[in-house]
Amino acid sequence: MSRFRRFRKNRQLVAGSIIGLVIVLLGVFGPMLFGDYADQDLLLGHKPIGTEGAFFGTDALGRDLAARATFGIRISLMVAISVTAMAVVLGTLIGLIAGYVKGPVDSVISLIVDFVWGFPLILVAVLMAASIGSGLVPVILAVALVNTVAIARVVRGEVLGISEREFVAASKAGGYSTFRILTRHIAPNVIPIALVLSSYYIAVAIIAEAALSFVGMGAQPPLPSLGQMVSEGRNYMRLNHWESTIPGVIIFFMVLSVSLVGDGLRDLLDPRLRTALDRTS
Amino acid sequence: MKAVLKTTVLTLLLLLASSFAVFAAIRLSGGDVTAARLPASATTEDRDLFRHQLGLDRPIIEQYFTYLGNLFTGDLGNSLTNNASIGDLAVEKIRNSAILGGVSLLLVFGIGIPLGMVASLRRNSWLDTGITSFSVGGMAVPNFWLALILIHIFATSLGWLPSAGQGGFKYLILPAVVLAAEGIALTVRMTRSSMIENLNQDFVRTLRAAGLSERRIYFKHVLRNSLLPIISLAGLRIGQIVGYALVVETIFGWPGVGQVLVNGVLRRDYPVVQFFSLLLVFVVTMGNLAASVGYTLANPRLRK
Amino acid sequence: MTVDDTPLLEIRDLSIGLRGDGVGYDIVRDVNMSLYRNETLAVVGESGCGKSLTALAVLSLIASPPLFITGGSIMFGGRDLTKVSTSEMRAVRGAEIAMVFQDPMSALDPMFTVGTLLTSAVKAHHKVKSAVAKERALEALADAGIEDPKRRFDEYPFQLSGGISQRVMIALALVNNPKILIADEPTTALDVTVQAQILERLKDLKDERGMALMLITHNLGVVASVADRMVVMYTGEVVESGAVDEVLASPHHPYTNGLLGAVPRLNSGAGQLVSIPGRVPQPYELPVGCTFADRCDRSIDICGVERPVLEHRARTEVRCHNPVG
Repeated sequence: MSRFRRFRKNRQLVAGSIIGLVIVLLGVFGPMLFGDYADQDLLLGHKPIGTEGAFFGTDALGRDLAARATFGIRISLMVAISVTAMAVVLGTLIGLIAGYVKGPVDSVISLIVDFVWGFPLILVAVLMAASIGSGLVPVILAVALVNTVAIARVVRGEVLGISEREFVAASKAGGYSTFRILTRHIAPNVIPIALVLSSYYIAVAIIAEAALSFVGMGAQPPLPSLGQMVSEGRNYMRLNHWESTIPGVIIFFMVLSVSLVGDGLRDLLDPRLRTALDRTS
Repeated sequence: MKAVLKTTVLTLLLLLASSFAVFAAIRLSGGDVTAARLPASATTEDRDLFRHQLGLDRPIIEQYFTYLGNLFTGDLGNSLTNNASIGDLAVEKIRNSAILGGVSLLLVFGIGIPLGMVASLRRNSWLDTGITSFSVGGMAVPNFWLALILIHIFATSLGWLPSAGQGGFKYLILPAVVLAAEGIALTVRMTRSSMIENLNQDFVRTLRAAGLSERRIYFKHVLRNSLLPIISLAGLRIGQIVGYALVVETIFGWPGVGQVLVNGVLRRDYPVVQFFSLLLVFVVTMGNLAASVGYTLANPRLRK
Repeated sequence: MTVDDTPLLEIRDLSIGLRGDGVGYDIVRDVNMSLYRNETLAVVGESGCGKSLTALAVLSLIASPPLFITGGSIMFGGRDLTKVSTSEMRAVRGAEIAMVFQDPMSALDPMFTVGTLLTSAVKAHHKVKSAVAKERALEALADAGIEDPKRRFDEYPFQLSGGISQRVMIALALVNNPKILIADEPTTALDVTVQAQILERLKDLKDERGMALMLITHNLGVVASVADRMVVMYTGEVVESGAVDEVLASPHHPYTNGLLGAVPRLNSGAGQLVSIPGRVPQPYELPVGCTFADRCDRSIDICGVERPVLEHRARTEVRCHNPVG
């Protein structure tokens, strides 16, 4: 039975990776293939999919949807990856410290972490935008903040669990320095979890960026964020629904692929992981 | 109980601290208020005097407490856009958002829990697979896109429901559904896994051996045990709903707090942004607090 | 000790097997057992021999799927329990036949007080007022040997120790005055000192109420001190049964012999612990003929060919081609 399940989960991993790969390739090579996303041609507006010269069609200003969408993918990816990188590093660090040092340091950190964690991402992003203005920067900061905190929480929990175990006490007794214990013993156990968690948060980052761009607070025109494209295409749904549908579908597949990969990875590192991760969501 | 008190006090302190942070960030980046209120011909001295009169040259902490004080006396300031009293604005917007949020929460738990229960009972059947896939998919669909699709289907094509605005039950349906979508998906999954886990516990066998009916075992005992994690979910849902409401209200033109805040940010209407930001921070914090207190009270192990 | 002629519970040729997903093999095979009023029957065997499954089958508590009763009958009160309706079974559970399980700490619903659990059990079978149900619950708690029933009534399972939890389970089983009490390894999860007390209590209760007690255990010491008759199971079948004194004094089946020999004796003067060579075969890899043959030092040719039948042999029943004595 277990072999079957593992295979099935791996299919998740496989499916997710394939979809993800396709999307990443589109994002990397798309803009080069499809041309300039800002290129307007008012005479060629609102063309549907399959038009000659414009693979996905064009939007209101005659801009090539394929060029815009693939560039939008780049933006989403860029946001997601930079955010996640920051969050994983910072979050793991904070979690490690809080979990290992414990005591009052941990109490303070935990309090702040739990508090921020309770805030919905979009609200944080809006607050950031309110403070420093609209654009990609507040989005990145906000998502980074929330992800960092989430990762810190999980890491802290794991560290607490692990540091109770004998081999850590043995190391301490053997006179190893704190740093060494952290890097040699605890970190390797904790990093896989942080990585799997971050796959979930990449998905969150993608949606958050899209949502914010949709309401106008994210990437500013003429930068083609996928969310923004959905928003712009909204008024022309009857005319040429592809303008909204294409970026929407792309977002959906991005998130789906990330979720599948995340789930697949999670089951690979099964079963220890599952309990820790279930506690967070 | 002591722990509950402690958590509450600490949370309130954090609330104070974070609301201050938000306040300071917004006020300090507030741009030149004078530009909005004084004619362009005003001199620097006029501007300084104006600022002094508004108390904007005082230390930021003092400004914070002054602001709070004003809040308590009911003076919420005026919107920069149309000079409307924020107080009046607040009442109306809060009421609208509360309606939307309340209905959404009802949908989330009213649909999510039963569906999750059904899925857990008919495990691995087509029904279960259907429900589970639906909820996995539901979490991947960005809600603004869902909103557009639903609008396109129900409003534009079929014409059954209005696409935006407010004015009666019909207007509430689409926004509430979109707002509840992700919550439903999550609740279904959690309920299902929680029920399945509990159905396999030893205590179920003991109850069966004692002769209790399956119905009673399921609805009284298994359900009660399964609801624990869902309760803690409930408070967090409030936070999530607040977040999504920002987008959903904007799309559907639902005149609530979310829409007002988003528009305020886009138009740089600082007094509005200030007040409603703080309001949302407060609501979310209270929601989270209620969730953790609720969980503590519901779990007999923690109650003592 | 009066033993009625007709058994209270009669398990006839019971077989329980795994079915589904392309597999089908029996775990319990043609088991026969009788339980009489006022007696304690011990069902003994190693882990996996099917003793718990047999007990669970009586109350229809086996996990179906994938386990199913594949043959035989369980006669109680003139009915075959394997064929009764769900509502009939429900009426039997707890009120006529009750069961106590192995790990008390996890067997009680953590979200409800002891009192609620007990009164629920009462109300599941009798339409009485809460006050009456509470009275019965308190009585049952006292009977189970709990000192301060009123206090325990309002407590939650996580507040109870192992021994008290087990007594609560016993109270739960007794509260509706069942005729039969099945105890599946009731003391295995408890401290040794508590074990003795619980067993004492069970025996006393049996005497006081005229119940029949089916005790499932792998501990021969327990059998010796508490049981009247015993049944030895190996790989899902009964290999020996009879009065405890008879079987323990002169076991006829080589397996029983081996079990007794394996019990460490403190006064036997050192030496190695004796164990039965080989290992227990899994239900899906049972050999042809007698399943114990390859571990038996008395096996003869026919043992590898033909499965022995349970037959009378002086005072006990044995399933063996070449029994001892």
